[in-house]
Amino acid sequence: MANALRLYLACIRNTLDAAMCLQNFPCQEVERHNKPEVELKTSTELLLNPILICRNEAEKCLIETSINSLRISLKVKQADELENILTKKFLRFLSMRAEAFQVLRRKPVQGYDISFLITNYHCEEMQKHKLIDFIVQFMEDIDKEINELKMSMNTRGRLVATEFLKQFV
Amino acid sequence: MACFERASPSLRKILLKLHRAEKPIEIDHHLHEFGSVEYHIQSSVSDPHHAYLSISTPLLTQGDLLSYGLSHYTMEMIKGISSDVVEIVQPAKEGYQLTLRLDLSKIPRSKDSMKLITKISTVQATILSSQLKEMLWNVNSEGTLHGMYKPIKLVYHLREPFYVIKQPQKITAVFPMRFKEHSDVIIATAFFQELVDVGNSRKWAKVPQCCWAPIPPPELRGEPFEDLSTNGGFVTFDIYPHHIEGKRLDKTVWSLLNFYAYVKYHVKCTKGFIQRRMRKRLESLVEILQKPNLEEDEHTEKVQGNARCMCVGKLVRLPKSKMLKRKCGDFAKKVKKLRFRIKIHGYRRFRQRWLTIPKFSSSMGYTKLD
Repeated sequence: MANALRLYLACIRNTLDAAMCLQNFPCQEVERHNKPEVELKTSTELLLNPILICRNEAEKCLIETSINSLRISLKVKQADELENILTKKFLRFLSMRAEAFQVLRRKPVQGYDISFLITNYHCEEMQKHKLIDFIVQFMEDIDKEINELKMSMNTRGRLVATEFLKQFV
Repeated sequence: MACFERASPSLRKILLKLHRAEKPIEIDHHLHEFGSVEYHIQSSVSDPHHAYLSISTPLLTQGDLLSYGLSHYTMEMIKGISSDVVEIVQPAKEGYQLTLRLDLSKIPRSKDSMKLITKISTVQATILSSQLKEMLWNVNSEGTLHGMYKPIKLVYHLREPFYVIKQPQKITAVFPMRFKEHSDVIIATAFFQELVDVGNSRKWAKVPQCCWAPIPPPELRGEPFEDLSTNGGFVTFDIYPHHIEGKRLDKTVWSLLNFYAYVKYHVKCTKGFIQRRMRKRLESLVEILQKPNLEEDEHTEKVQGNARCMCVGKLVRLPKSKMLKRKCGDFAKKVKKLRFRIKIHGYRRFRQRWLTIPKFSSSMGYTKLD
């Protein structure tokens, strides 16, 4: 399982490494404007083919690239209802604090749980390899956090249940 | 109703304050607990040995029948707290169901006083427990319909009724669980599964058997549809005679009455726990992203720091000349301010020769190139 995750993450890392060669490119439609082309999609010649990396049905990553920006959308696995609400809560919490991350999109792309938008300015400010490290680390951490949260919730529930039933003894 | 202790902590605190006061004190407190329970405590300086405690609480009702005040049994149970200290005032104060006159002079000045005051503070729990006990006694266990025992619907809070089914060997308590939010339902369901696991484990064989099902149990067949439509399923406890023997009866009744509050409190705390964990994780995630920036900043700072050191070095090396320059400047200004009425021939040359500011040039300094 861990090996499969490693392969999945390695694939994403390599793809990002190849895709993240962004350059400053002014908008072709509006003069003196500079907009992320991957969001606007005004000129097809500035867009590259999107890449979808799937680990399984529930876990996938969509990488859309353009000349000056890159959009990464993630779908995190949700095995049961508890994982589902934990994932939703956690990703909503992060999206609401998107300004802390700079590269996080406030609203995920439809069909995905969370999206990142990286522009050429981000690549200039933060180093490219650090950005890739962050994305991969983020994916690892989300998985780990959801699992840990689920475990601790069950443990808490068991303790509380024991305390309640103790009253009858 | 979210108070899991039988004794009200705030009421106990006030009664203790009254008891421990060396001088008689005037007290007129209204306490509200969990929105529905209200206490009014009165004590005056003119009557220092007595205090009046009035209670207003939602009463446990059976189905649609309305409860008209407290029963004789409940009154007896309240008197039983301490017949010397507690006296029921008839009629009760307006707006309250019960008024008690507490004879403070009869509370012993020893360790037992704490016990007695705690017991008086459990008056609301006593009312509820005695009501439930009375209802269970009054139920005719013989009354069966198609081989099924008729369930009694108990209402403490309007939105949270529960059922008690009295059978010859056991009493079954069924709680239809309703929650406002979907996330609450999932957290509570996870809790119920743990409750069932613990209740059916060998280690906890003595505790009541617990069962959770998303559909109503067969015992509730024939009950109104509104009461059986839930989003959190049904939790059932099987209470056997050994759970209600002696002192355990009070505990069992109190635990059953508090089950709703207990679950809701757990859900609330779990949500808080999740929020705390998320905050912590946010910090660590942001740290990963900020690291490269910090490293860059550190690097820049290092370079700037070195440059600053050099400047400081320059300043340190020049103080003597600078100080001397300043002193001479002051002296020159003073001299310039002097106005001689008589013009002395050759004084200007003398001043230029002897009173001008000497120019110091440091070997380490630099000359500005125009």
